[in-house]
Amino acid sequence: MSIVIETQNLRRCYGRGVTLVAAVNGISVSIEQGEFTAIIGPSGSGKSTLLNLIGGLDQPDEGRVLLQGQDIAGMTGNAISDFRRDHIGFIFQAYNLIPVLSAHENIEYIMLLQGVPKLNRQARVLEMLGLVGLKGLGHRRPAELSGGQQQRVAVARAMASKPDIILADEPTANLDSKTGAELLDLMRQLNAELGLTFLFSTHDQMIMARAQRLVHIKDGVVEQDEVR
Amino acid sequence: MLLVQLAFRNLFRNGRRTFLTCLLITSSLVVMILMDGLILGMLGVMVGGITQTLEGEAQIYKSGFRDRFDSTLYLASPESILTVLEEDATLTAYAPRVIVPAVIGSSYNTLGGMVYGVDPEKEIATSRLRQALIEGEYLTNNPRGLLMGRLMAEKLEIGIGDRVVLTASAVDNNELVQGLFRVSGIIEFGPKELDESFVFIPIGAAQALFHLGDGLHQIALRFKDFQDANRSDLALAREIQEEGVEFKGWLALQPSVGAMLEMTSYATLIIGVVLFLFASLGVVNSIFMSIYERLYELAIAKAIGTRPAFIGGLILLEAFALAVISCGIGLPIAFCLMTYFAANGLPLGGTMEFSGVVLPGRLYPELVWYQFVQFPLYVILLTVVAAIYPALFAARIAPARSLQKAL
Repeated sequence: MSIVIETQNLRRCYGRGVTLVAAVNGISVSIEQGEFTAIIGPSGSGKSTLLNLIGGLDQPDEGRVLLQGQDIAGMTGNAISDFRRDHIGFIFQAYNLIPVLSAHENIEYIMLLQGVPKLNRQARVLEMLGLVGLKGLGHRRPAELSGGQQQRVAVARAMASKPDIILADEPTANLDSKTGAELLDLMRQLNAELGLTFLFSTHDQMIMARAQRLVHIKDGVVEQDEVR
Repeated sequence: MLLVQLAFRNLFRNGRRTFLTCLLITSSLVVMILMDGLILGMLGVMVGGITQTLEGEAQIYKSGFRDRFDSTLYLASPESILTVLEEDATLTAYAPRVIVPAVIGSSYNTLGGMVYGVDPEKEIATSRLRQALIEGEYLTNNPRGLLMGRLMAEKLEIGIGDRVVLTASAVDNNELVQGLFRVSGIIEFGPKELDESFVFIPIGAAQALFHLGDGLHQIALRFKDFQDANRSDLALAREIQEEGVEFKGWLALQPSVGAMLEMTSYATLIIGVVLFLFASLGVVNSIFMSIYERLYELAIAKAIGTRPAFIGGLILLEAFALAVISCGIGLPIAFCLMTYFAANGLPLGGTMEFSGVVLPGRLYPELVWYQFVQFPLYVILLTVVAAIYPALFAARIAPARSLQKAL
């Protein structure tokens, strides 16, 4: 299996002087194609910071983030925006969607940014809606969808751009356990059937139970890397 | 297309805020248009008051005459000038005049004043002499008829039909000359200076009395477009220019009016800038509120790959749409108000005299096309300019920090 993401001695600090805290303190980890991995750890352990650094949402103070061999740590402006658009899918905790756009338009949005032709876009949106079990609900705006349905649309949007990896930061945090389990089953299914690579940041037991690999983080360092 | 769609949908997410911001921009536009219309109306009254009462929009006279109203400085052979005036297409009217300082006496009193020898017919189209008549009859062919200001008549304690003796120096030999006239009409222009110092007699009688022959002291002109009078390249001015003859437009005749016009345009500019500054602050505030409200959403949009320029462009487009909507609402309102006040006037609470001009009790705003084209464009431009800072702020949102902050 090829390596999708590799971090090398990644370090990110917040504050200054005596208040300086290393949220991520020299983490080196690699994620392979098709993995279903969860970064776990207590609150403040640095898992979300690590996910932000991997996703190019934050800049490391030291170290490198290699995505398909390309270092994204120094990218800024349009370059990092375009890179995220084309290579990384994001699912956040909540309010993932643009409220004034319908589910269909939310999924289409990222492809519009990519410049995908209209016919291809439409076909892919319908395909994605079908994959996440929301066929026929594309016209609804986020406010007209349940929390679980909204997260499904977020999954569909994340997949729509054909990314190398999907990063999910606490995707079930705002869902009840049943809906959360259904969403995770869907993602696991997409991982198994389509070979999509998922990387979670979580302390949700349901995700941990489904993950193939658990990267335990504490105080900004990898404490344990557990492959099941 | 996506940008436009997003911008318009975002605008109507918070209807109340959009409405209030629109109200602010709309009010600024309406006030600006109304204010400009009123200022134009007031200037029109003031310039008209000066040029149309007696002065005319331009004058032709012997060099130096206007400095001291020296009656010995006159156009001795004005025929060639009158011929040019008769044929000039830019003019609507002209009025030849004789102007001599004189002592005006009645049986009870005497006063110093100015005697205007006028052509009664030509004055009708040139000045307000005919309209100023409040009692008696306008000048006719009667060579002994005289029009007198109301205040002067009161001071001389005379009325219609009473005798008046004009005493002055003859312009050719400085000998004292006297003429007997009868008051045929009482006039009232409004400005005190005119109503207590001026008398009007037929021009032929004046030329004969003051030994002028065919000579004239002044020719007052009215143009089809009153601004022509101030044009430096006016063909008429070049044509009549000969040794010792001066042609001056109303701005040169009344430099204080020019200064007033300049001051008014500065005042308008300052008021406009202040008005739009306040409106811009309102727009900036409103846009910032909308950005903070959508901080998480914008951060997500940026996280999934939206370029900073797209986010900035979205904010600018929202501001542009806001301004366009505001203008769409403001223009009909401004047009209705302007049309109403242009027809009915805005009450000022009574007539008043200002800089020698009588302002009527109602002010009628002037509706001009540029108010409905230029001002909305300024509003749109300024709103978009005001939105640049919020747009830059939105474009620079750091996704990781904003996502954390907004949750």
